[in-house]
Amino acid sequence: MTSATLPAVRSTKPSAIRPGRILLYVVLTVGALLMMTPFIWMLLTAFKSNLEIAKFGWLPGELRWHNFVEAMQTAPFLRYFRNSLFIAVGETAFTLVVCTMAGYALAKMPLRGSKALLTYFIVLLLVPFQIILVPLFLIVKSIPLFGGNNILGHGGIGWLNSWWGLIIPLGAAPLFTFLARQFYVSLPDELAQAARVDGLGEFGIFARIMTPLIKPALITIAVFQIEAAWNGFLWPLMITTSDSMRPLQLGLAIFSQNPAEIQWPYLMAGTALATLPMIVMFVFAQKRFVEGMANVGIKG
Amino acid sequence: MSTTLERPALATPRKVTPAKDSRTLLKSQVRTGWALLAPALLHSGVFIVIPVIAVLVLSLTDYSFGDTWAWVGFGNYADLFRDVDFQASLWHTVLYAIVVIPISMAIALAVAVGLNQKIRGLTFFRTAYYIPTVTATVAVATIWLWIYNPGSGLANGFLSLFGFAPNRWLADPATALPSLMVVGIWQGLGTKVIIYLAALQTVSRDLLESADLDGAGRWQKFANVTWPAIGPVQFFVLITSIVGTFQVFDLVYVMTQGGPGSETRVLVMDIYQNAFQDLKLGYASAETVIMMIVIALFIGVGRLLQKADAND
Repeated sequence: MTSATLPAVRSTKPSAIRPGRILLYVVLTVGALLMMTPFIWMLLTAFKSNLEIAKFGWLPGELRWHNFVEAMQTAPFLRYFRNSLFIAVGETAFTLVVCTMAGYALAKMPLRGSKALLTYFIVLLLVPFQIILVPLFLIVKSIPLFGGNNILGHGGIGWLNSWWGLIIPLGAAPLFTFLARQFYVSLPDELAQAARVDGLGEFGIFARIMTPLIKPALITIAVFQIEAAWNGFLWPLMITTSDSMRPLQLGLAIFSQNPAEIQWPYLMAGTALATLPMIVMFVFAQKRFVEGMANVGIKG
Repeated sequence: MSTTLERPALATPRKVTPAKDSRTLLKSQVRTGWALLAPALLHSGVFIVIPVIAVLVLSLTDYSFGDTWAWVGFGNYADLFRDVDFQASLWHTVLYAIVVIPISMAIALAVAVGLNQKIRGLTFFRTAYYIPTVTATVAVATIWLWIYNPGSGLANGFLSLFGFAPNRWLADPATALPSLMVVGIWQGLGTKVIIYLAALQTVSRDLLESADLDGAGRWQKFANVTWPAIGPVQFFVLITSIVGTFQVFDLVYVMTQGGPGSETRVLVMDIYQNAFQDLKLGYASAETVIMMIVIALFIGVGRLLQKADAND
């Protein structure tokens, strides 16, 4: 935390010492601290004993690393971790392909009714997941020709208890089609025109010219989708019955199954370990944000 | 035969080449466009539209997960207009949206602009602002419950620094909802900052540089180059904020359960309780339909605002 303020002091170049500059650092640092407080508290709680969490205090008496070990030993967390990873990667790949394609078509292709289609996707992203849960479950159960279903979707369990069911229904959210579209729209048409003159086909223009230019959007979609998949709880709970496919968040739920005696240190230790990959991913991905458009360049 | 036919055909296209080319181009673009769009249309049709239609149909029934059900027409809707809990939920949700959306968007844009400067410790700052988004809601809720604790909480400690009397925050009907709004703004900030940052990266350097050459000040550059350039993304943030605020649930559920009284009861919570606790799925479906209509109204206003902004 302090390391962030130090560089501001160290940069004594005349141009950098302006009061506005210092104010910027102070404001950003205070904001950053406000944002991080709950996370820090979560980490500290993970080291505490059950006695210590009974009353409020910041620092644990000692660093109980074995909380992490014990938390991980209560369930097959390695498998949960692998399952979460598989779901996140699958869902993100699916989302990136489907949503960039649709977003590009909405933004740049002369389709009749593309305005109406855009409205269609916007309206769809308003649908709260919680309420379509029951119909969605019934649909996934009656996907034809899967899980013992006949062509009419009867007789079997469809996509229930399958990777398909875990990955496909919640992938390709209209949100990301809309996001991709908004980025494609701001690209100049001249780029596509130039590629067309060079003899590139329409799909080639989409895949090889325009899509690389919205790299910030692609990374943004990937980060959001991975995170959504990683934190998914309700849906995997509903459609899986066996331990073999269950993701991390369901594993964590065993620490809070009994609301009367939630095992806070274990819960926080497990949550911290589950959150860590997301933070690492973000630290990695946000460097790509910085590259962003500036490096790709829109120069003619 | 074929050679005689080809001759005149070869002669004429030379003149009409542009028109014919643009027509075939248009055709291939339309074809490609629909092909690109097809998977998303199919996916959304099966996994969203059909469930929504199911909800619309259910809203006209008294379905409650049982074997028997009956059509009730608009009976559910009529009941909703007399339902005090529903009215309170709707009002709180609208209020929450009206307060949280503009404030969180303004703060997020300001932070993003700040982070888009050439500053040091950028990696740290960006990560710090994003951390609430990836921190589990249970951890977020627990710490805020402590912050708002009337006895030993941080909020009252802060107030006492300035000599103000302690407040009961979540326990006080007057401050419960505003206290939740603060948490909502706080939690939603990271995502918005990231989207704004990605957008700010796409603002054309050439334009900013030529504005520099024209002697434009910082504020002028922001107003005339940056603001119009991030317009579409701005609209995206607005839409997702509207949807996000209307769907607020986890936070309220963990922190206040809608209390004190029903002072912080929100729509999705009411829907959830009606659907999965009272098992009145038909009734809850009618509530959902009304919620979607209200969201649509908000987005309509948002579109008007954006159009007015673009025409300036």
